[in-house]
Amino acid sequence: MELRINRRALVGLGLAAAVAASSLAVLRTDSGIASSHREAPMIAGDPQHDNTDVYAFVSPDKADTVTLLANWIPFEEPQGGPNFYPFATRSRYNIKIDNDGDARPDITYEWTFRNEDKRGTTTFLYNNGPVTSLDDPNLLFRQRYTLRKITPGGTRTLVGDGIVAPSNVGPASMPDYGTLRAQSLRSLPGGGKVFAGQSDEAFFLDLRVFDLLYGGNLSEVGQDTAKGYNVNTVAIQVPAKELALKGDVRRNPVIGICSTTDKFNGSRYVQVSRLCNPLVNEVVSPAGLKDAFNALPPEKDADVAPLVKRVTDPEVARLLEAVYGIKAPATPRNDLVEIFLTGIAKQNGPIKADLNSQVLNKDAGKLRPSEMLRLNMAVPPAKDPNRLGVLAGDLQGFPNGRRLSDDVVDIALQAVAGAALTGKLVPGLTDKVDGNDKPFLQSFPYIPLPSNVAVNRR
Amino acid sequence: MRSLAVLAGLALLGAMAFTIFSFSAAPSEAPVAQAAPAAETLQERLRRLPGDHRGWAELASQYVDQARITGDPSYYTKAEGAIATAAKLRAGDDAVLTGQAALAAGRHEFADAVRLAERAVSVNPYGAAAYGVLADARTQLGDLRGARRAVDRMMDLRPGVAAFARASYAAELRGDLAGARKYLEMAEDDAWSPADVAYARYYLGELALHSGDLATAADWYAKALQAYPAYPPALAGQARTAALSGRLTEALTLYDTVVERLPLPQYLIEQGETRIKAGQAPDWTLLRAQRKLFQAAGVRDDLTWAEFEADHGDPASAVEHARAEYARNPNLVAADALAWALFKAGRPADALPYAKKATATGWRNPLLTYHRARIEQALGRPVKVDAGFDPTLPALARFS
Repeated sequence: MELRINRRALVGLGLAAAVAASSLAVLRTDSGIASSHREAPMIAGDPQHDNTDVYAFVSPDKADTVTLLANWIPFEEPQGGPNFYPFATRSRYNIKIDNDGDARPDITYEWTFRNEDKRGTTTFLYNNGPVTSLDDPNLLFRQRYTLRKITPGGTRTLVGDGIVAPSNVGPASMPDYGTLRAQSLRSLPGGGKVFAGQSDEAFFLDLRVFDLLYGGNLSEVGQDTAKGYNVNTVAIQVPAKELALKGDVRRNPVIGICSTTDKFNGSRYVQVSRLCNPLVNEVVSPAGLKDAFNALPPEKDADVAPLVKRVTDPEVARLLEAVYGIKAPATPRNDLVEIFLTGIAKQNGPIKADLNSQVLNKDAGKLRPSEMLRLNMAVPPAKDPNRLGVLAGDLQGFPNGRRLSDDVVDIALQAVAGAALTGKLVPGLTDKVDGNDKPFLQSFPYIPLPSNVAVNRR
Repeated sequence: MRSLAVLAGLALLGAMAFTIFSFSAAPSEAPVAQAAPAAETLQERLRRLPGDHRGWAELASQYVDQARITGDPSYYTKAEGAIATAAKLRAGDDAVLTGQAALAAGRHEFADAVRLAERAVSVNPYGAAAYGVLADARTQLGDLRGARRAVDRMMDLRPGVAAFARASYAAELRGDLAGARKYLEMAEDDAWSPADVAYARYYLGELALHSGDLATAADWYAKALQAYPAYPPALAGQARTAALSGRLTEALTLYDTVVERLPLPQYLIEQGETRIKAGQAPDWTLLRAQRKLFQAAGVRDDLTWAEFEADHGDPASAVEHARAEYARNPNLVAADALAWALFKAGRPADALPYAKKATATGWRNPLLTYHRARIEQALGRPVKVDAGFDPTLPALARFS
């Protein structure tokens, strides 16, 4: 096709290049943007509401308490200024407990956040000098939180003026970050503790292991793809009796745990994110169901046939067989139904153990299957925790709750391959990442301090 | 939920020296990516996993979004390559259908966009993005009620920049200015990526501009540029504010920068009108060149030419374009364009029903109001023409 453009006229306008660039595309029947058509982003990135991990475990240094911990904002690059990584201020960050097995929350711990911004219009910097304490005037931006406990009996404010441990700005600005973390911890009435702030991305994994679903292969894995990044954490430690049905841990030791995030849409709060068991998207919820899963409360899970089917006939198992010759167990996979939907108990299915289903609670009613992380609070802390948890005979580990050191990727792969049925581990089935790069702490909140070194400098 | 897409989107803002064809061919023995997937771009991931259909669909959607952010339509071609690959892998997948719908909407094939988005929604009733495309396309087709239903659903699924921006536009078209502002403020508060922050601030500027508050508008445009320097719409906004405030030299300097970055017909027409206002001759050379290219390529953008011919060219040709546009997309803006073209062609009586349609929803758009007043005036009715409206710069009032 010949185009007769008066090039000289264009050059005179100094625009020849610009036209050429945008017009080449036009030749491929592309229209530009017409004035009639207002365009908006399709889906905006929203990491503040992206719930990445949930942990629940009997506290190793205080066996009569339980620690609940949830993370948001994946892949925080240290030194990500100037605004770093605040929590959203018009949202609710929740950890929900179901202790009677009806899939509805009996206790909700709800964090809401607000900004204290002293930067004015003169600077956009987070701090204007070294920050040596949470009250340091050099710290120009910080967040406060309110923690509420919501039960059918009503709502109580546990903390009205908590301070969020700030994003770690770097060694010059925050020479002793440990002090800031320590100052941010709050005690709760009745003997608990609470924390909100930045921490190390403690999840160690090679995400690429799940690329099996798209034709990837296990030979490529072996690096911790979350290493060096930070996350935002909320954590609470409370006496186990506070969580147990009727306050009786002996009779009712099992609780179910989910974390959700609610966002305000101008007229009401809607749930935009949900996480209970780790890796549920990779192993259980097929890609097309992810949106539904994030919006659904657990009490609706049992009605979503595709979700249940995905548990009873998981694609990952068939892929492991096709790619690696690891024989997939016969379907329906009632062992996985136990692990993900009902909890493990002899009366629930083929796994011969009474471990972590609410049916084991003597005062519980009828169990409604739902995807949640389930913890038996009566199992004492392991002296020598095994990263493979229950599958390796360490009953304090995932899928009985989840500790920071549990290797959930390997456990999930092994479980899908049938290890919970056979009692035998499948050799070689691993993402080859067995631990976090930073050691976990000995006391609450256990999760390591945030890094302050850029990821690509490590 | 852990997802790589967030970062992939940011990574995409970086180097784009990459063609879709580079790996639609069978992949050779690619070396294992050394980068951690967290830092892995969507493109790198797809090189490693060419079978990831949702990855391809996501890439296509990202390209469509880049076309929106940069105004560079060549991204649509890239999107087409990516979505074709995705569709070959898994045709009925909701992400693939949503990507196809987004591309169709980007290219103004609104009827197709509605069809595809409705299919996506039937496969995945929880997919917020598909409702967004549905809202946009229905708005363009003049189905404001259907658009609002889609927006409401989106607001219940995923309140955020994408939903708030659309809720704002729906409110604006209903004449609910306070609601339009409230939702944009929510979008601004919620925005995370610099491009999204700039987007929300730019439209807060537009809202102020259209309600005659130039100082507030200028403030928002400047704030948009703070978030995302060189964001062309905000630069154009600054040029508009300057021109409407009578600072014509400053406006023309700004327009030079704007059209050098992005010679969209809309900006070229604004620049020409500002020149006329400054007593210079408009130079429509570049605009006509663009138009020839569009026509040669078979692109349908009758609206722009209907508006341009009515104000600066041949009214008969304006009527032709406006009729074609209104037949395809019977929305408020198209109705206004047809009314104005008919008026300029000396047919105010024929124009009036369309002017009434354009103003029927209560949308407080100074250009629409002015057009209707002039048409009623010509028909001998007693009306008040807004003295604050500058009829020599209609294109500056037209945008969005």
